[in-house]
Amino acid sequence: MKEVELDCLGEACPIPLVKAENKLKEMEIGDVLIVQIDHSCAMKNVPEWARKEGHNVEVEEIDDGEWEIIIEKVK
Amino acid sequence: MDEQKTTGIQRSSTRTKRVRKKKKNQLPFGIAVLVLAIIFGILLGTKNQGMPIFWITGLAFGYILQRSRFCFTASMRDPFLTGSTSLTRTVLTAFAITTIGFAAIKYGAFIKGLPIPGQSYVVPISFATAAGAFMFGVGMVIAGGCASGTLMRVGEGFTMQILSLFFFIIGSLWGAHDFGWWKLNVILKGKAVFLPDVFGWIGAVIIQLLIIAMLWIAADKWENRKNLT
Amino acid sequence: MDIKKNKYYKLWLKDAWPYITGAVLLSMFQIVTLAVTGNPWGVSGVLATWGAWMYETVGGSVDKWYYFASEGAQRTLEGGFINHGGSIRNIGIIIGALIATLLSSGFKIKKLKSWKQVVAAILGGLLMGYGARIGFGCNIGALFSGIASLSLSGWVYALFLFLGAIIGSKLLVKYFM
Repeated sequence: MKEVELDCLGEACPIPLVKAENKLKEMEIGDVLIVQIDHSCAMKNVPEWARKEGHNVEVEEIDDGEWEIIIEKVK
Repeated sequence: MDEQKTTGIQRSSTRTKRVRKKKKNQLPFGIAVLVLAIIFGILLGTKNQGMPIFWITGLAFGYILQRSRFCFTASMRDPFLTGSTSLTRTVLTAFAITTIGFAAIKYGAFIKGLPIPGQSYVVPISFATAAGAFMFGVGMVIAGGCASGTLMRVGEGFTMQILSLFFFIIGSLWGAHDFGWWKLNVILKGKAVFLPDVFGWIGAVIIQLLIIAMLWIAADKWENRKNLT
Repeated sequence: MDIKKNKYYKLWLKDAWPYITGAVLLSMFQIVTLAVTGNPWGVSGVLATWGAWMYETVGGSVDKWYYFASEGAQRTLEGGFINHGGSIRNIGIIIGALIATLLSSGFKIKKLKSWKQVVAAILGGLLMGYGARIGFGCNIGALFSGIASLSLSGWVYALFLFLGAIIGSKLLVKYFM
C-alpha cells in the first residue's frame, strides 16, 4: 500500500479530474491517492467521479478554500 | 443524483494525520460584505429606481452559481471529457423549467395583445451563430469558465479568471468592431425562428419539452454506458 | 462553540447544494428577470459595453461602429455604469459569489500557476468574447435564455457549442495540462 499525493492547487476545472483519473490508473488496488485542490468545483466533481467508479472517497477541508480528496483505489 | 456526504467513509490506515494550520473564520467578512451589498442596493435605488432588481438578481445568480457549483461549461464539456452527464442533465432540467415559465409570460402578453417581452433574444440563425457558438465552446473550455462562470470565479478569488475576463472584454470589443461586417454579409442572410410561430404555442412547448426529455434520457444512457466498461 | 462545526451553519451556509437546487433556483430567478425587467438574463453583451467604456477612457471612439450605432446602444453608453442594469447585474454576480464563498469560509486568492494558464486565459477569453458577439450571446443569453425563449437559435447555438467544447477539451488536454 502506498500513498501518492497529487498537487492540483491552482488548477482549474477539469484538469484536477483528468489528472486524478490518469494517476489512479497507474496505481494498485489498495493504494491511496490524495488530490490537493483549491477549486471549489473540483471539490464536487472529483469526489463525484471517484464514488461513481466505486472507490472509497473522503474530502477533507485543510484550509479556507483548500481541500484534500482522499481516494482509496478499491478496484 | 443523491448528494453524498463526506463523512462515514473508511479512512485508510496508512494515512498519516498532519498538523494543519489554524483556519480563520471568514464568516464575519461574509456578513460584512452582505451588509455593504444591501446598503449599496438601497443607495442604488435612490439614484435609479430600476436598478435594485438587477442588483438583487445579480447577487442571487452569483450566490446560486457558487453555492451549487453550477457550471454551464462543464455541462457541455464533461460528457465528452469525463463521461459524466450529471450537470448536463441538470442544465436540461433548468431549460425545461424556464421554458414553461417564459412561455407562460410570453403567452400572457400575447393574448392580452401586448408586445411579447424578451423577443430580442429570438435571433437570426446563420453561419455566425454556428461560428460564434463554436468559438465560444472552445474558449470556455480552455479558459475554465464561460461568461457567468468567469464572473463567479472572479468572486471566488481566481486570478486566472480575472485575466480571462479582461480578455473576454477585449474579445467582445473586437467582435463588436467586426459586427457590422458579420451583420451585412452573414447575419442578414439568416432567419429568426420563434417556435410558437411554427408549431403554435402549445405545440412549441410540448415539442421543446419532449426534445429536452429525450436529450435527458440520452445523457443518462451515455453516462451509464461509460460506467459499464 | 465552534460555529464551523455547527450543523445548521453547515446546512445553511457551507455545504455545496445539489446541482438540482441550483437549476431550480436559477430558473426561478430567470423567470423573475423576464417578468420584471422585460428581458431574460444576459451576461456577455454587457462586456462589450464595458469594452467600449474602456476604449473610450483610453481615447478611442466607438460611435462609428455599427454595433454601437443604434440609439439604444448610444443611450446605454452615455448613461454610464450606474444606470446600466446589465452592468449592475454582472457586478452583482461577482459580489454574490464572493458572499457565498466568504459565508462558507472558503475564500482564497488563487494565483496563476503557470504560463500555460496565462495563455489559456488570454486565448479562451478572446475566443469567448468574439464568439459571443457574432453568435448573439454566451451560455446565458444565447443558450439558456435563447432556448427558454422558444427560439430555434438557442438549439443551433447548443449544437455548435457542444462541438466547440469537444475540440476545446482536446486542445486543453494536449496543450494546457
